[in-house]
Amino acid sequence: MEWSFAPVIANLDILLLGLLNTLKVTGLALSLGVPLGLALALMRLSQVRPVSMVSAFIIEFFRTTPPLVQLFWFFFAFPILFNINMTPYLAAVVTFSIQSSAFFAEIFRSGIQSIDHGQWEGSKAIGMSRNQSLRRVILPQAVKRMIPAFMERSIELLKTTTLVSTIAYTDLMYQANSIAQSTFRPLEVYTVVALIYFVLIFAFSQLSIIIEHRLAKSGEGTVN
Amino acid sequence: MDHNWDFATIFTNWRVYWVGLQGTLLMFGVTVTLGMFGGLIIGILRYMKHPAAAWPARAFVEVFRNTPVLVQIIWFYYAFPILTGIETSPFLAAALGISLNTMAFSAEIYRAGIQSIDKGQWEAGKAIGMNFAQTMRRIILPVALKRVLPALTNRGIEVFKMSTLASVVAYIETLSQAKLIAELNYNPIESYTAVALIFFVVLYPVVQGTYALERVLNRSDR
Repeated sequence: MEWSFAPVIANLDILLLGLLNTLKVTGLALSLGVPLGLALALMRLSQVRPVSMVSAFIIEFFRTTPPLVQLFWFFFAFPILFNINMTPYLAAVVTFSIQSSAFFAEIFRSGIQSIDHGQWEGSKAIGMSRNQSLRRVILPQAVKRMIPAFMERSIELLKTTTLVSTIAYTDLMYQANSIAQSTFRPLEVYTVVALIYFVLIFAFSQLSIIIEHRLAKSGEGTVN
Repeated sequence: MDHNWDFATIFTNWRVYWVGLQGTLLMFGVTVTLGMFGGLIIGILRYMKHPAAAWPARAFVEVFRNTPVLVQIIWFYYAFPILTGIETSPFLAAALGISLNTMAFSAEIYRAGIQSIDKGQWEAGKAIGMNFAQTMRRIILPVALKRVLPALTNRGIEVFKMSTLASVVAYIETLSQAKLIAELNYNPIESYTAVALIFFVVLYPVVQGTYALERVLNRSDR
């Protein structure tokens, strides 16, 4: 067995393009998934029972079904049902935004619930409405406690985006598949791609550990 | 939304789904067993003071936690046979990827559980003449395992969902069977909705069970 990395190096630009697309899908799914997650969390904490039940159902459904099934559903079934054109890119963004929002919702909820009830009463006493107390008093404290769980979820999301290669979106994994097929060098190609993912994800993990230590030192509790 | 729903083909093809579900259950059973037992060993190694035990265990955990499981499965399917000359079947490649990934994640869960046990327990074990292995087995693990049970159940749920990734290397499981039905009957909406529902129906009670388990353990622990 002889290793030959030349075919990989020759196609490095294709891999980097894939990496860029991976980061693009991750970033977009994050920026849509977080606000959507907050909305779902607030709905779930709502006093109106039908609202909280609908939100609970959405959250549980997207947490208990495999992301690959969701992706296939949005790519193959959704466009027929609503008669629209679906691209692999759009399906990926829609799926991972909703999927991660279900997980972010639970992080938001445990963050909000971890704040002492006296804080709500305190802000009510100085005349704030429920919305004002949430925005000015509760969320700023809750968000700080959520940061570690939030970062862990974002890393999970980055790993999950590899699934888009199965519906032919040109992410890092898809580019690896096509280079492996055209160069007949799957060993080198997949090893290099695994390394790229490792370096990227390991760096994010270490960053989140550092931030977690900082937060622990500043005397803040965290939630899962 | 003027779609003509065609769930009839789903019911007439229930055997196809059943074959798929058996594949899913087999994959889940093998990977969850290997992952949880292997993870316990690696978790203990990672906890040990000796660098010859702790460092390889740490390297293993970091590698398999920080790469996507799909990359691992595909690596074992296409790259591993070239490296070792061992042919990997779709089942073997997926089982290796998912098991090793699960071992890495559960190792960290076990380690956190072991570390959460008060040092006094170790000292007490030593004081009555137990060695490391005896203290671990008789005193530390029984308490630690109870504490990490909810985290382990959550991991198990993740493993069950992960089994769908085996379809990428052409292992026959629920999702790949649904794809087959969708292609034969031109009914992707019904066939993929059915898979989503199958997973939801299987996992929802388990998730609810985890919540109940957490409440029970919280009450008994504190």
